[in-house]
Amino acid sequence: MLPRRVFQFLIIYFLFLCGLMALKYGLALSDYVIPAPVGIYHTLIAEYRQYSLATMNTMTVAVIGQVISVGMALVIGIAGRQSTWLGSFIKVAAFNFQAYPIVALAPILFILLGDGFLTRLLIAAMICYFPVLLSVLGIMSKPVDDIEHFYRVTGRMRWQLEVKIRTFENLTQLTTVIAGSATLAMAGTIVGEFIAANAGIGYSIRIALYQSDLGKILIALFLIGITIAVYQALLESLGVVIKRAWTGR
Amino acid sequence: MNTSAKTYILPACVLLLMTLLVATSARAGDKVVYRLKWLRNVSVVGALYAENHGLFKKAGLDVEVKAGGPERDAIRELELGYADFGEASADQVLRARAKGAPVVVIAQLFQVNPLQWMYRPEETRIDALADLRDKVIGVTFGGNDETIMNTLLAEAGLGSGDVRLFSVRYDYTPFYRRQVQLWPVYRNAQAPLIAAQLKKAGEATAFFNPEEFGVKFVANCVVTTERTLKEKPELVKRLLTALLAGWQQALAPENQEAAISTLQKYDPDTPRPTLEEQLKITRGLIQPDAAVAIGTIDEKGWEQTGRIMRTQKQLAGEVDLKAILRPVGGGAE
Repeated sequence: MLPRRVFQFLIIYFLFLCGLMALKYGLALSDYVIPAPVGIYHTLIAEYRQYSLATMNTMTVAVIGQVISVGMALVIGIAGRQSTWLGSFIKVAAFNFQAYPIVALAPILFILLGDGFLTRLLIAAMICYFPVLLSVLGIMSKPVDDIEHFYRVTGRMRWQLEVKIRTFENLTQLTTVIAGSATLAMAGTIVGEFIAANAGIGYSIRIALYQSDLGKILIALFLIGITIAVYQALLESLGVVIKRAWTGR
Repeated sequence: MNTSAKTYILPACVLLLMTLLVATSARAGDKVVYRLKWLRNVSVVGALYAENHGLFKKAGLDVEVKAGGPERDAIRELELGYADFGEASADQVLRARAKGAPVVVIAQLFQVNPLQWMYRPEETRIDALADLRDKVIGVTFGGNDETIMNTLLAEAGLGSGDVRLFSVRYDYTPFYRRQVQLWPVYRNAQAPLIAAQLKKAGEATAFFNPEEFGVKFVANCVVTTERTLKEKPELVKRLLTALLAGWQQALAPENQEAAISTLQKYDPDTPRPTLEEQLKITRGLIQPDAAVAIGTIDEKGWEQTGRIMRTQKQLAGEVDLKAILRPVGGGAE
Protein backbone atom coordinates (compact mmCIF):
# COMPACT_ATOMS: atom_id res chain seq x y z
CA MET A 1 0.00 0.00 0.00
CA LEU A 2 2.80 2.41 0.99
CA PRO A 3 4.97 2.13 -2.15
CA ARG A 4 1.85 2.38 -4.34
CA ARG A 5 0.69 5.57 -2.60
CA VAL A 6 4.15 7.18 -2.87
CA PHE A 7 4.48 6.14 -6.50
CA GLN A 8 1.03 7.55 -7.32
CA PHE A 9 1.93 10.83 -5.63
CA LEU A 10 5.19 11.05 -7.58
CA ILE A 11 3.29 10.58 -10.84
CA ILE A 12 0.85 13.36 -9.92
CA TYR A 13 3.60 15.73 -8.79
CA PHE A 14 5.77 15.22 -11.85
CA LEU A 15 2.76 15.61 -14.17
CA PHE A 16 2.08 18.89 -12.38
CA LEU A 17 5.71 19.96 -12.81
CA CYS A 18 5.63 18.96 -16.49
CA GLY A 19 2.50 21.09 -16.92
CA LEU A 20 4.27 24.06 -15.33
CA MET A 21 7.33 23.57 -17.52
CA ALA A 22 5.17 23.31 -20.65
CA LEU A 23 3.60 26.64 -19.65
CA LYS A 24 6.98 28.21 -18.87
CA TYR A 25 8.68 27.24 -22.12
CA GLY A 26 5.50 27.52 -24.22
CA LEU A 27 4.97 31.14 -23.15
CA ALA A 28 8.71 31.95 -22.71
CA LEU A 29 8.18 32.94 -19.07
CA SER A 30 11.10 34.03 -16.90
CA ASP A 31 12.42 32.09 -13.90
CA TYR A 32 10.69 34.66 -11.72
CA VAL A 33 7.24 33.49 -12.82
CA ILE A 34 8.09 29.77 -13.03
CA PRO A 35 11.58 28.61 -12.02
CA ALA A 36 13.59 26.40 -14.36
CA PRO A 37 14.21 22.72 -13.43
CA VAL A 38 17.83 23.57 -12.51
CA GLY A 39 16.61 26.36 -10.21
CA ILE A 40 14.13 23.98 -8.54
CA TYR A 41 16.93 21.45 -8.07
CA HIS A 42 19.22 24.07 -6.50
CA THR A 43 16.40 25.17 -4.18
CA LEU A 44 15.82 21.54 -3.22
CA ILE A 45 19.48 21.11 -2.31
CA ALA A 46 19.56 24.38 -0.36
CA GLU A 47 16.28 24.02 1.49
CA TYR A 48 15.78 20.27 1.77
CA ARG A 49 16.89 19.92 5.38
CA GLN A 50 15.12 22.99 6.76
CA TYR A 51 11.89 22.30 4.84
CA SER A 52 11.87 18.60 5.83
CA LEU A 53 12.11 19.55 9.50
CA ALA A 54 9.37 22.15 9.03
CA THR A 55 7.15 19.52 7.31
CA MET A 56 7.74 17.06 10.16
CA ASN A 57 6.83 19.80 12.62
CA THR A 58 3.59 20.46 10.73
CA MET A 59 2.86 16.74 10.42
CA THR A 60 3.24 16.25 14.18
CA VAL A 61 0.69 18.98 14.87
CA ALA A 62 -1.59 17.59 12.13
CA VAL A 63 -1.52 14.06 13.61
CA ILE A 64 -2.33 15.32 17.11
CA GLY A 65 -5.03 17.59 15.65
CA GLN A 66 -6.50 14.67 13.74
CA VAL A 67 -6.58 12.43 16.81
CA ILE A 68 -8.37 15.19 18.75
CA SER A 69 -10.83 15.85 15.93
CA VAL A 70 -11.61 12.16 15.41
CA GLY A 71 -12.15 11.83 19.17
CA MET A 72 -14.37 14.93 19.16
CA ALA A 73 -16.31 13.71 16.13
CA LEU A 74 -16.86 10.28 17.69
CA VAL A 75 -18.10 11.75 20.97
CA ILE A 76 -20.38 14.31 19.29
CA GLY A 77 -21.48 11.80 16.63
CA ILE A 78 -22.41 9.18 19.23
CA ALA A 79 -24.12 11.72 21.48
CA GLY A 80 -25.97 13.30 18.58
CA ARG A 81 -27.01 10.05 16.85
CA GLN A 82 -30.40 9.87 18.56
CA SER A 83 -33.40 11.80 17.31
CA THR A 84 -34.00 13.23 20.78
CA TRP A 85 -33.98 16.96 21.68
CA LEU A 86 -30.42 16.67 23.01
CA GLY A 87 -29.25 14.80 19.91
CA SER A 88 -30.75 17.47 17.67
CA PHE A 89 -29.26 20.26 19.82
CA ILE A 90 -25.77 18.74 19.58
CA LYS A 91 -26.12 18.45 15.79
CA VAL A 92 -27.27 22.08 15.44
CA ALA A 93 -24.43 23.30 17.68
CA ALA A 94 -21.84 21.28 15.75
CA PHE A 95 -23.16 22.50 12.37
CA ASN A 96 -23.31 26.14 13.48
CA PHE A 97 -19.81 26.02 14.87
CA GLN A 98 -18.59 24.83 11.49
CA ALA A 99 -20.38 27.69 9.70
CA TYR A 100 -17.85 30.24 11.00
CA PRO A 101 -14.88 30.55 8.65
CA ILE A 102 -11.62 29.77 10.37
CA VAL A 103 -10.04 33.04 9.19
CA ALA A 104 -12.71 34.91 11.14
CA LEU A 105 -12.08 32.88 14.30
CA ALA A 106 -8.30 32.88 13.97
CA PRO A 107 -7.73 36.40 15.37
CA ILE A 108 -9.70 35.44 18.49
CA LEU A 109 -7.64 32.27 18.88
CA PHE A 110 -4.52 34.30 18.29
CA ILE A 111 -5.42 36.77 21.05
CA LEU A 112 -6.38 34.01 23.49
CA LEU A 113 -3.64 31.49 22.75
CA GLY A 114 -0.85 33.40 21.03
CA ASP A 115 0.86 32.26 17.84
CA GLY A 116 2.23 28.97 19.06
CA PHE A 117 1.49 25.27 19.11
CA LEU A 118 -2.03 25.42 20.62
CA THR A 119 -3.41 27.78 17.97
CA ARG A 120 -2.11 25.58 15.15
CA LEU A 121 -3.49 22.49 16.86
CA LEU A 122 -6.92 23.97 17.40
CA ILE A 123 -7.21 25.24 13.82
CA ALA A 124 -6.09 21.83 12.47
CA ALA A 125 -8.64 20.05 14.64
CA MET A 126 -11.44 22.46 13.69
CA ILE A 127 -10.87 22.07 9.95
CA CYS A 128 -10.49 18.31 10.17
CA TYR A 129 -13.31 17.35 12.50
CA PHE A 130 -16.41 18.32 10.55
CA PRO A 131 -16.20 15.80 7.65
CA VAL A 132 -15.44 13.08 10.19
CA LEU A 133 -18.38 14.23 12.29
CA LEU A 134 -20.73 14.10 9.29
CA SER A 135 -19.67 10.53 8.53
CA VAL A 136 -19.91 9.46 12.18
CA LEU A 137 -23.36 11.04 12.46
CA GLY A 138 -24.44 9.33 9.25
CA ILE A 139 -23.14 5.96 10.40
CA MET A 140 -24.37 6.21 13.96
CA SER A 141 -27.84 7.50 13.04
CA LYS A 142 -28.53 4.62 10.66
CA PRO A 143 -29.76 1.45 12.41
CA VAL A 144 -28.47 -1.95 11.26
CA ASP A 145 -31.95 -3.49 11.53
CA ASP A 146 -30.98 -7.11 10.73
CA ILE A 147 -28.76 -7.32 13.81
CA GLU A 148 -30.18 -4.66 16.12
CA HIS A 149 -33.75 -6.09 15.86
CA PHE A 150 -32.70 -9.25 17.76
CA TYR A 151 -31.19 -7.33 20.67
CA ARG A 152 -34.12 -4.95 20.83
CA VAL A 153 -36.82 -7.62 21.00
CA THR A 154 -34.82 -9.54 23.60
CA GLY A 155 -34.34 -6.31 25.62
CA ARG A 156 -30.56 -6.59 25.62
CA MET A 157 -29.78 -3.51 23.60
CA ARG A 158 -27.53 -0.96 25.33
CA TRP A 159 -26.06 2.19 23.73
CA GLN A 160 -22.54 0.74 23.82
CA LEU A 161 -23.73 -2.32 21.90
CA GLU A 162 -25.57 -0.13 19.39
CA VAL A 163 -22.42 1.91 18.74
CA LYS A 164 -20.34 -1.24 18.45
CA ILE A 165 -22.70 -2.86 15.91
CA ARG A 166 -22.88 0.27 13.75
CA THR A 167 -19.11 0.80 13.89
CA PHE A 168 -18.42 -2.83 13.00
CA GLU A 169 -20.84 -2.81 10.06
CA ASN A 170 -19.34 0.43 8.67
CA LEU A 171 -15.70 -0.13 9.52
CA THR A 172 -14.43 0.24 5.93
CA GLN A 173 -16.27 3.53 5.47
CA LEU A 174 -15.03 4.83 8.81
CA THR A 175 -11.42 3.89 8.03
CA THR A 176 -11.61 5.60 4.64
CA VAL A 177 -13.03 8.79 6.20
CA ILE A 178 -10.37 8.86 8.92
CA ALA A 179 -7.57 8.26 6.39
CA GLY A 180 -9.03 10.98 4.16
CA SER A 181 -9.28 13.41 7.04
CA ALA A 182 -5.48 13.29 7.38
CA THR A 183 -5.32 15.57 4.32
CA LEU A 184 -7.70 18.00 6.01
CA ALA A 185 -5.71 17.94 9.23
CA MET A 186 -2.56 18.76 7.29
CA ALA A 187 -4.35 21.50 5.33
CA GLY A 188 -5.78 22.87 8.58
CA THR A 189 -2.38 22.97 10.23
CA ILE A 190 -0.87 24.75 7.23
CA VAL A 191 -3.71 27.32 7.29
CA GLY A 192 -3.05 27.81 11.00
CA GLU A 193 0.64 28.32 10.33
CA PHE A 194 -0.17 30.88 7.66
CA ILE A 195 -2.30 32.86 10.06
CA ALA A 196 -0.59 32.41 13.40
CA ALA A 197 2.64 30.49 13.82
CA ASN A 198 6.37 30.81 14.02
CA ALA A 199 7.12 27.31 12.78
CA GLY A 200 6.02 24.65 10.33
CA ILE A 201 5.91 24.34 6.58
CA GLY A 202 2.95 26.76 6.28
CA TYR A 203 5.09 29.42 7.93
CA SER A 204 7.96 28.61 5.52
CA ILE A 205 5.56 28.95 2.56
CA ARG A 206 4.43 32.33 3.88
CA ILE A 207 8.03 33.55 3.95
CA ALA A 208 8.62 32.15 0.44
CA LEU A 209 5.52 34.04 -0.75
CA TYR A 210 6.91 37.27 0.68
CA GLN A 211 10.08 36.63 -1.31
CA SER A 212 8.12 35.67 -4.46
CA ASP A 213 10.07 32.40 -4.58
CA LEU A 214 7.98 29.81 -6.40
CA GLY A 215 10.88 27.32 -6.30
CA LYS A 216 10.65 27.12 -2.51
CA ILE A 217 6.88 26.73 -2.70
CA LEU A 218 7.22 23.84 -5.17
CA ILE A 219 9.67 22.09 -2.83
CA ALA A 220 7.31 22.66 0.10
CA LEU A 221 4.40 21.20 -1.92
CA PHE A 222 6.49 18.16 -2.78
CA LEU A 223 7.37 17.51 0.87
CA ILE A 224 3.80 18.08 2.04
CA GLY A 225 2.44 15.73 -0.64
CA ILE A 226 4.87 12.91 0.03
CA THR A 227 4.38 13.16 3.81
CA ILE A 228 0.60 12.99 3.45
CA ALA A 229 0.89 10.04 1.03
CA VAL A 230 2.99 8.11 3.55
CA TYR A 231 0.74 9.00 6.48
CA GLN A 232 -2.44 8.07 4.61
CA ALA A 233 -0.94 4.75 3.56
CA LEU A 234 -0.01 4.05 7.18
CA LEU A 235 -3.55 4.89 8.33
CA GLU A 236 -5.05 2.61 5.69
CA SER A 237 -2.71 -0.20 6.73
CA LEU A 238 -3.70 0.39 10.35
CA GLY A 239 -7.36 0.20 9.32
CA VAL A 240 -6.74 -3.16 7.63
CA VAL A 241 -4.96 -4.49 10.73
CA ILE A 242 -7.81 -3.36 13.02
CA LYS A 243 -10.42 -4.86 10.73
CA ARG A 244 -8.52 -8.13 10.54
CA ALA A 245 -8.14 -8.29 14.31
CA TRP A 246 -11.82 -7.52 14.85
CA THR A 247 -13.35 -9.71 12.18
CA GLY A 248 -10.71 -12.43 12.12
CA ARG A 249 -10.61 -12.08 8.30
CA MET B 1 -41.37 33.53 -40.14
CA ASN B 2 -41.19 30.07 -38.62
CA THR B 3 -40.46 29.43 -34.95
CA SER B 4 -36.99 28.04 -35.57
CA ALA B 5 -35.93 31.22 -37.45
CA LYS B 6 -37.30 33.42 -34.63
CA THR B 7 -35.35 31.34 -32.08
CA TYR B 8 -32.05 32.08 -33.79
CA ILE B 9 -32.56 35.64 -35.09
CA LEU B 10 -33.18 37.30 -31.69
CA PRO B 11 -30.07 35.93 -29.91
CA ALA B 12 -27.99 36.68 -33.04
CA CYS B 13 -29.15 40.34 -32.97
CA VAL B 14 -28.34 40.62 -29.25
CA LEU B 15 -24.91 39.12 -29.85
CA LEU B 16 -24.24 41.51 -32.75
CA LEU B 17 -25.33 44.49 -30.63
CA MET B 18 -23.05 43.42 -27.76
CA THR B 19 -20.12 42.95 -30.16
CA LEU B 20 -20.69 46.44 -31.57
CA LEU B 21 -20.88 47.92 -28.07
CA VAL B 22 -17.65 46.23 -27.01
CA ALA B 23 -15.90 47.29 -30.23
CA THR B 24 -17.05 50.89 -29.81
CA SER B 25 -15.93 51.11 -26.18
CA ALA B 26 -12.52 49.65 -27.06
CA ARG B 27 -12.07 52.34 -29.68
CA ALA B 28 -13.01 55.06 -27.18
CA GLY B 29 -9.59 54.77 -25.47
CA ASP B 30 -6.59 52.47 -25.29
CA LYS B 31 -7.49 49.76 -22.82
CA VAL B 32 -4.92 49.41 -20.07
CA VAL B 33 -4.84 47.35 -16.86
CA TYR B 34 -2.99 48.92 -13.90
CA ARG B 35 -2.34 46.64 -10.93
CA LEU B 36 -1.91 48.44 -7.62
CA LYS B 37 0.59 47.29 -5.00
CA TRP B 38 -1.95 47.22 -2.22
CA LEU B 39 -5.65 47.59 -1.43
CA ARG B 40 -7.40 50.84 -2.36
CA ASN B 41 -6.18 53.15 0.38
CA VAL B 42 -4.10 56.29 0.83
CA SER B 43 -0.93 54.57 -0.42
CA VAL B 44 -2.43 54.46 -3.92
CA VAL B 45 -4.43 57.69 -3.76
CA GLY B 46 -2.80 59.11 -6.92
CA ALA B 47 -4.06 56.28 -9.11
CA LEU B 48 -7.50 56.41 -7.49
CA TYR B 49 -7.67 60.16 -8.04
CA ALA B 50 -6.65 59.86 -11.69
CA GLU B 51 -9.27 57.16 -12.20
CA ASN B 52 -12.08 59.02 -10.43
CA HIS B 53 -11.38 62.47 -11.79
CA GLY B 54 -11.13 61.47 -15.44
CA LEU B 55 -7.37 62.10 -15.82
CA PHE B 56 -6.83 58.78 -17.57
CA LYS B 57 -9.81 59.44 -19.87
CA LYS B 58 -8.44 62.88 -20.75
CA ALA B 59 -5.24 61.17 -21.81
CA GLY B 60 -7.30 58.94 -24.12
CA LEU B 61 -6.88 55.90 -21.90
CA ASP B 62 -9.43 53.40 -20.63
CA VAL B 63 -7.59 52.30 -17.50
CA GLU B 64 -8.83 49.49 -15.30
CA VAL B 65 -7.26 50.04 -11.89
CA LYS B 66 -7.14 46.72 -10.03
CA ALA B 67 -6.55 46.43 -6.30
CA GLY B 68 -3.41 44.68 -5.15
CA GLY B 69 -2.78 42.72 -2.00
CA PRO B 70 -0.40 40.30 -0.35
CA GLU B 71 -1.12 37.57 -2.86
CA ARG B 72 -0.88 39.83 -5.92
CA ASP B 73 2.36 40.36 -7.77
CA ALA B 74 2.21 43.01 -10.49
CA ILE B 75 5.48 41.82 -12.08
CA ARG B 76 4.15 38.29 -12.62
CA GLU B 77 0.92 39.74 -14.01
CA LEU B 78 2.86 41.93 -16.46
CA GLU B 79 4.72 38.91 -17.77
CA LEU B 80 1.60 36.78 -17.99
CA GLY B 81 -0.23 39.59 -19.81
CA TYR B 82 -2.87 40.15 -17.12
CA ALA B 83 -1.70 43.74 -16.57
CA ASP B 84 0.07 46.38 -18.66
CA PHE B 85 1.38 48.52 -15.82
CA GLY B 86 1.62 48.05 -12.10
CA GLU B 87 3.25 48.96 -8.84
CA ALA B 88 6.06 46.99 -7.21
CA SER B 89 8.67 47.64 -4.56
CA ALA B 90 12.37 47.79 -5.40
CA ASP B 91 13.16 44.42 -3.80
CA GLN B 92 10.48 42.74 -5.95
CA VAL B 93 11.88 44.37 -9.08
CA LEU B 94 15.49 43.39 -8.25
CA ARG B 95 14.54 39.79 -7.47
CA ALA B 96 12.49 39.56 -10.65
CA ARG B 97 15.25 41.03 -12.85
CA ALA B 98 17.81 38.69 -11.29
CA LYS B 99 15.58 35.84 -12.48
CA GLY B 100 15.21 37.21 -15.99
CA ALA B 101 11.84 39.00 -15.77
CA PRO B 102 11.68 41.77 -18.40
CA VAL B 103 10.41 44.39 -15.95
CA VAL B 104 11.43 48.06 -16.03
CA VAL B 105 10.80 50.92 -13.62
CA ILE B 106 9.39 54.06 -15.21
CA ALA B 107 8.77 56.12 -12.05
CA GLN B 108 9.29 55.95 -8.32
CA LEU B 109 6.27 56.86 -6.23
CA PHE B 110 7.58 56.91 -2.66
CA GLN B 111 10.74 58.98 -2.15
CA VAL B 112 10.72 57.99 1.54
CA ASN B 113 9.86 54.39 2.43
CA PRO B 114 6.63 54.40 4.47
CA LEU B 115 7.75 51.27 6.35
CA GLN B 116 8.81 52.50 9.78
CA TRP B 117 8.65 51.30 13.38
CA MET B 118 6.21 52.68 15.92
CA TYR B 119 7.09 52.92 19.63
CA ARG B 120 6.00 54.55 22.87
CA PRO B 121 8.31 57.52 23.55
CA GLU B 122 7.64 57.47 27.30
CA GLU B 123 9.14 53.96 27.48
CA THR B 124 11.61 53.83 24.61
CA ARG B 125 14.11 56.29 23.18
CA ILE B 126 15.83 55.73 19.86
CA ASP B 127 18.39 58.49 19.32
CA ALA B 128 21.05 56.21 17.88
CA LEU B 129 21.07 52.72 16.38
CA ALA B 130 22.81 51.44 19.51
CA ASP B 131 19.57 52.21 21.39
CA LEU B 132 18.03 49.17 19.68
CA ARG B 133 20.04 46.91 22.00
CA ASP B 134 17.90 44.69 24.30
CA LYS B 135 14.69 45.80 22.62
CA VAL B 136 11.86 43.51 21.49
CA ILE B 137 11.42 44.45 17.82
CA GLY B 138 8.57 43.32 15.60
CA VAL B 139 9.46 42.10 12.10
CA THR B 140 7.63 40.19 9.39
CA PHE B 141 9.97 37.27 8.80
CA GLY B 142 10.70 37.11 5.08
CA GLY B 143 9.37 40.65 4.57
CA ASN B 144 11.10 43.93 3.74
CA ASP B 145 11.05 45.01 7.35
CA GLU B 146 13.19 42.03 8.35
CA THR B 147 15.75 42.93 5.67
CA ILE B 148 15.78 46.59 6.74
CA MET B 149 16.02 45.76 10.46
CA ASN B 150 18.86 43.26 9.90
CA THR B 151 20.72 45.98 8.00
CA LEU B 152 20.17 48.48 10.83
CA LEU B 153 21.34 45.96 13.42
CA ALA B 154 24.44 45.19 11.34
CA GLU B 155 25.14 48.94 11.05
CA ALA B 156 24.84 49.21 14.83
CA GLY B 157 27.12 46.22 15.31
CA LEU B 158 24.36 44.32 17.10
CA GLY B 159 24.04 40.57 16.78
CA SER B 160 21.04 38.26 17.08
CA GLY B 161 21.64 37.93 20.84
CA ASP B 162 21.47 41.68 21.41
CA VAL B 163 17.81 42.12 20.45
CA ARG B 164 14.74 39.92 20.34
CA LEU B 165 12.96 39.80 16.99
CA PHE B 166 9.23 39.15 17.33
CA SER B 167 7.21 37.72 14.43
CA VAL B 168 4.37 40.12 13.55
CA ARG B 169 1.01 39.55 11.91
CA TYR B 170 -1.82 41.88 10.96
CA ASP B 171 -2.94 41.82 14.57
CA TYR B 172 -1.45 44.60 16.72
CA THR B 173 -2.33 43.04 20.09
CA PRO B 174 1.30 42.29 21.10
CA PHE B 175 2.11 45.99 20.65
CA TYR B 176 -1.00 47.14 22.50
CA ARG B 177 -0.13 44.70 25.30
CA ARG B 178 3.45 46.06 25.41
CA GLN B 179 4.95 42.66 24.58
CA VAL B 180 6.79 44.33 21.72
CA GLN B 181 8.51 47.72 21.94
CA LEU B 182 8.95 48.56 18.26
CA TRP B 183 6.23 47.55 15.81
CA PRO B 184 6.55 47.87 12.00
CA VAL B 185 3.83 49.96 10.37
CA TYR B 186 3.18 51.79 7.14
CA ARG B 187 3.70 55.33 8.39
CA ASN B 188 0.99 56.86 6.19
CA ALA B 189 -1.67 54.12 6.24
CA GLN B 190 -1.66 52.04 9.45
CA ALA B 191 0.19 54.38 11.79
CA PRO B 192 -2.48 57.15 12.03
CA LEU B 193 -5.10 54.48 12.84
CA ILE B 194 -3.02 52.88 15.61
CA ALA B 195 -1.85 56.25 16.91
CA ALA B 196 -5.50 57.37 17.18
CA GLN B 197 -6.34 54.22 19.18
CA LEU B 198 -3.43 54.78 21.53
CA LYS B 199 -4.24 58.47 21.89
CA LYS B 200 -7.68 57.48 23.19
CA ALA B 201 -5.87 55.56 25.93
CA GLY B 202 -3.71 58.62 26.63
CA GLU B 203 -0.57 57.16 25.06
CA ALA B 204 1.82 59.02 22.79
CA THR B 205 3.55 57.47 19.78
CA ALA B 206 6.82 58.08 17.98
CA PHE B 207 8.39 56.61 14.85
CA PHE B 208 11.74 55.09 14.06
CA ASN B 209 12.53 55.90 10.43
CA PRO B 210 15.48 53.86 9.02
CA GLU B 211 16.25 56.62 6.49
CA GLU B 212 17.17 58.95 9.34
CA PHE B 213 19.89 56.44 10.21
CA GLY B 214 21.19 56.18 6.67
CA VAL B 215 19.33 53.07 5.50
CA LYS B 216 17.39 53.71 2.31
CA PHE B 217 15.26 50.90 0.91
CA VAL B 218 13.19 51.98 -2.08
CA ALA B 219 9.45 51.28 -1.88
CA ASN B 220 6.64 51.46 -4.48
CA CYS B 221 7.48 52.21 -8.11
CA VAL B 222 5.57 52.15 -11.38
CA VAL B 223 6.59 49.22 -13.55
CA THR B 224 5.93 47.87 -17.01
CA THR B 225 7.65 45.47 -19.40
CA GLU B 226 10.61 46.24 -21.67
CA ARG B 227 8.40 45.33 -24.60
CA THR B 228 5.63 47.80 -23.72
CA LEU B 229 8.21 50.54 -23.22
CA LYS B 230 9.86 49.77 -26.54
CA GLU B 231 6.78 49.17 -28.66
CA LYS B 232 4.37 51.70 -27.12
CA PRO B 233 6.46 54.59 -25.77
CA GLU B 234 3.68 57.06 -26.43
CA LEU B 235 1.16 54.99 -24.44
CA VAL B 236 3.66 54.68 -21.56
CA LYS B 237 4.18 58.44 -21.54
CA ARG B 238 0.45 59.17 -21.62
CA LEU B 239 -0.27 56.77 -18.76
CA LEU B 240 2.56 58.05 -16.62
CA THR B 241 1.66 61.70 -17.22
CA ALA B 242 -1.95 61.07 -16.20
CA LEU B 243 -0.93 58.96 -13.21
CA LEU B 244 1.59 61.46 -11.88
CA ALA B 245 -0.90 64.27 -12.45
CA GLY B 246 -3.29 62.19 -10.31
CA TRP B 247 -0.69 62.09 -7.53
CA GLN B 248 0.09 65.78 -7.94
CA GLN B 249 -3.57 66.78 -7.70
CA ALA B 250 -4.48 64.33 -4.94
CA LEU B 251 -1.70 65.64 -2.72
CA ALA B 252 -2.23 69.33 -3.46
CA PRO B 253 -3.67 70.96 -0.29
CA GLU B 254 -6.28 72.83 -2.33
CA ASN B 255 -7.65 69.48 -3.60
CA GLN B 256 -7.81 67.83 -0.18
CA GLU B 257 -11.61 67.71 -0.19
CA ALA B 258 -11.70 65.90 -3.53
CA ALA B 259 -8.92 63.52 -2.49
CA ILE B 260 -10.71 62.63 0.75
CA SER B 261 -13.98 62.05 -1.10
CA THR B 262 -12.12 59.69 -3.42
CA LEU B 263 -10.64 57.78 -0.49
CA GLN B 264 -13.99 57.64 1.32
CA LYS B 265 -15.51 55.97 -1.72
CA TYR B 266 -13.32 52.92 -1.07
CA ASP B 267 -12.75 53.32 2.65
CA PRO B 268 -15.96 54.68 4.20
CA ASP B 269 -15.14 53.43 7.72
CA THR B 270 -11.97 55.41 8.39
CA PRO B 271 -12.85 58.65 10.21
CA ARG B 272 -12.29 61.84 8.26
CA PRO B 273 -9.63 63.29 10.62
CA THR B 274 -7.63 60.06 10.20
CA LEU B 275 -7.91 60.29 6.40
CA GLU B 276 -6.70 63.90 6.56
CA GLU B 277 -3.76 62.79 8.69
CA GLN B 278 -2.99 59.91 6.30
CA LEU B 279 -3.04 62.26 3.33
CA LYS B 280 -0.78 64.78 5.08
CA ILE B 281 1.80 62.12 5.92
CA THR B 282 1.64 60.68 2.40
CA ARG B 283 2.50 64.12 0.98
CA GLY B 284 5.78 64.07 2.90
CA LEU B 285 6.65 60.58 1.68
CA ILE B 286 5.83 61.12 -2.00
CA GLN B 287 7.33 64.60 -2.35
CA PRO B 288 9.53 65.41 0.65
CA ASP B 289 11.35 68.07 -1.36
CA ALA B 290 9.30 70.43 -3.53
CA ALA B 291 12.28 70.77 -5.89
CA VAL B 292 12.15 67.06 -6.73
CA ALA B 293 9.30 66.14 -9.07
CA ILE B 294 6.84 63.40 -8.11
CA GLY B 295 7.91 60.16 -9.75
CA THR B 296 11.65 60.92 -9.75
CA ILE B 297 13.76 57.78 -9.57
CA ASP B 298 16.28 57.90 -6.73
CA GLU B 299 19.23 56.04 -8.27
CA LYS B 300 21.33 56.22 -5.11
CA GLY B 301 18.45 54.73 -3.15
CA TRP B 302 18.26 51.89 -5.69
CA GLU B 303 22.00 51.28 -5.43
CA GLN B 304 21.73 51.03 -1.66
CA THR B 305 18.70 48.74 -1.88
CA GLY B 306 20.68 46.42 -4.19
CA ARG B 307 23.65 46.47 -1.81
CA ILE B 308 21.45 45.65 1.18
CA MET B 309 19.85 42.73 -0.63
CA ARG B 310 23.22 41.34 -1.69
CA THR B 311 24.57 41.64 1.86
CA GLN B 312 21.49 39.86 3.19
CA LYS B 313 22.02 37.15 0.52
CA GLN B 314 18.69 37.91 -1.13
CA LEU B 315 20.38 38.66 -4.43
CA ALA B 316 23.08 36.39 -5.82
CA GLY B 317 24.95 38.99 -7.86
CA GLU B 318 24.94 42.46 -9.37
CA VAL B 319 21.86 43.60 -11.26
CA ASP B 320 22.29 46.16 -14.01
CA LEU B 321 20.35 49.15 -12.69
CA LYS B 322 20.70 51.02 -16.01
CA ALA B 323 18.61 48.32 -17.67
CA ILE B 324 15.97 48.51 -14.95
CA LEU B 325 15.59 52.22 -14.26
CA ARG B 326 14.04 53.82 -17.33
CA PRO B 327 12.54 57.18 -16.35
CA VAL B 328 10.03 58.30 -18.93
CA GLY B 329 9.42 61.78 -17.54
CA GLY B 330 5.73 62.01 -16.80
CA GLY B 331 6.17 65.68 -16.08
CA ALA B 332 4.51 66.20 -12.71
CA GLU B 333 6.46 68.99 -11.06
